[in-house]
Amino acid sequence: MPGLSAAELSFLEGGIAQDLRNDGRGREDFRSFSIQLDVISQASGSARVRLGATDILASIKAELGSPPAEFPHLGRLELAVEISPTAGPEFEGRGGEELSAELGKALERSFAGGANGTGAAVDLAALSVVEGKTCWVLYADVLVLNADGNILDASAIGIKAALSNTRIPKVEVLAGEGDEEGELELNDDPDECARVSTAAVPLIVTLTKVGRHYIADATGDEEAQMSSALSVAVNEKGQLCGVTKRGSAGIDPSVISDMLSVARRIGKRLLAKVDAEISLAESRLESET
Amino acid sequence: MSARGAPSYSPYSGIEERVMQEDGAGPASRSVLGADSRRQDGRLPEECRPAFLQVGTVSRAAGSAYAEFASTKVLVAVYGPRESRKAAAYSDTSRLTCDVKLAAFATKSRGKYGQGTAERELSDLLHKALVSAVRLDTFPKASVDVFALVLESGGADLAVVVTAASLALADAGIEMLDMVAATSLSLVGGHLLVDPAASEERAQDGNVLVALMPARNEVTQMHLAGAWPDTHAAQAIELCLDGCHKLDGEMRACLREHAATANGS
Repeated sequence: MPGLSAAELSFLEGGIAQDLRNDGRGREDFRSFSIQLDVISQASGSARVRLGATDILASIKAELGSPPAEFPHLGRLELAVEISPTAGPEFEGRGGEELSAELGKALERSFAGGANGTGAAVDLAALSVVEGKTCWVLYADVLVLNADGNILDASAIGIKAALSNTRIPKVEVLAGEGDEEGELELNDDPDECARVSTAAVPLIVTLTKVGRHYIADATGDEEAQMSSALSVAVNEKGQLCGVTKRGSAGIDPSVISDMLSVARRIGKRLLAKVDAEISLAESRLESET
Repeated sequence: MSARGAPSYSPYSGIEERVMQEDGAGPASRSVLGADSRRQDGRLPEECRPAFLQVGTVSRAAGSAYAEFASTKVLVAVYGPRESRKAAAYSDTSRLTCDVKLAAFATKSRGKYGQGTAERELSDLLHKALVSAVRLDTFPKASVDVFALVLESGGADLAVVVTAASLALADAGIEMLDMVAATSLSLVGGHLLVDPAASEERAQDGNVLVALMPARNEVTQMHLAGAWPDTHAAQAIELCLDGCHKLDGEMRACLREHAATANGS
């Protein structure tokens, strides 16, 4: 972000203190967002999310791969965030690497569940094809086109939308003869596809601490002012699915527990809104075809 | 509550007992807890492993520390403040670089040389846990380099690395706002297991790590993974915080002891 002047900074902080931010929002309000589905024809599922000026593309690619060595009955979900240099001048060259690694890890913590697959965003056991040999690997890639704050929350919305749009081809396992291994036959009929249940996919609410207050869905200018932030993943059951602390300043433990409950409350509202937007985008997609 | 390890810094048992009553799942819902609600290594759920801490282990380093939490063994050396190696732009604060290495023999399957993703992630998390405690403004232009070597990975590696690194920084005389103590916890089949061993981590449904500046009561780093039922998350964080405070006592005792022997000789 281009540096703000001292006067602009104090204006921004003063607004936050009075629960009226520069763009007219209260501290706990999200910017309005739009979701567009099926934007990448090469992917198994995709979505474009615009959250304020932040603009991201999320794609899900399903590929056949090998299951994790310790849990042969599971499939895999791999998450990554790439920040394109178009998103802002600070991401030129390798400038975005550190942030994209941090965001990728935060997504992994929120979506991948425990080591044994419990609490994962999608049912990993359903991705298994041949136990111990073959499974579906869902690669969730987020590409940031324009960064105006809160990339992580937008990415989570994008992944949830892209997963709802994902179609995985049916696989038939043909029995092998004698010692030969069975062959896999992919059914490429587009109507004969498995869908991914997105009911358990969490959303992330990042609360950014600016001065003594914390705000939801910070813009780029507001993020430049952050002392620390807590990214909290919440699912439909109201469970916490992942927490990541970002920023360099410490936070008081009692403030953390406040932030967790506020994030849970905001997350509930956000989940309902995202679900509504996804079904709206789906009906738009159907009327187009 | 009798068989508590000698230098243990376990959180109060009261918290865990509340958890056990609430979750309703009988003991041994998974093999991690035996019928006597003890863990495989004989600890109670809220009991930490006995911790051995030592500073001044590496003589050539500005500061160093060795930490052993049962089978988790970590060596940390701190070099600096020294001239920044990276030819980076002028900065009026100093740089804190953190590098965590897993020894090739630290894990069951032999590791590879070169920094893998696991090491990169550990390094990054260590940096995040320490950077808010170190007073970087006190030595402009210089860098402080923290090298951590995990000799044996026996569970809760990151928590031990953070703890040892903070001791090593203190040993090096780097100005800090406070020490940083870190405790992690695994959620296994509805049970909250403080300071998990490697076998418990493999079976975990979720985990939490809290790094705390105990005297300032500020959390420098915290992350949580896996799906957590409502009350469990808050209790887990509380247990970790309590563990950090207890660990802080051990860390300070270790530094005091070192200072006393250094003065005596």
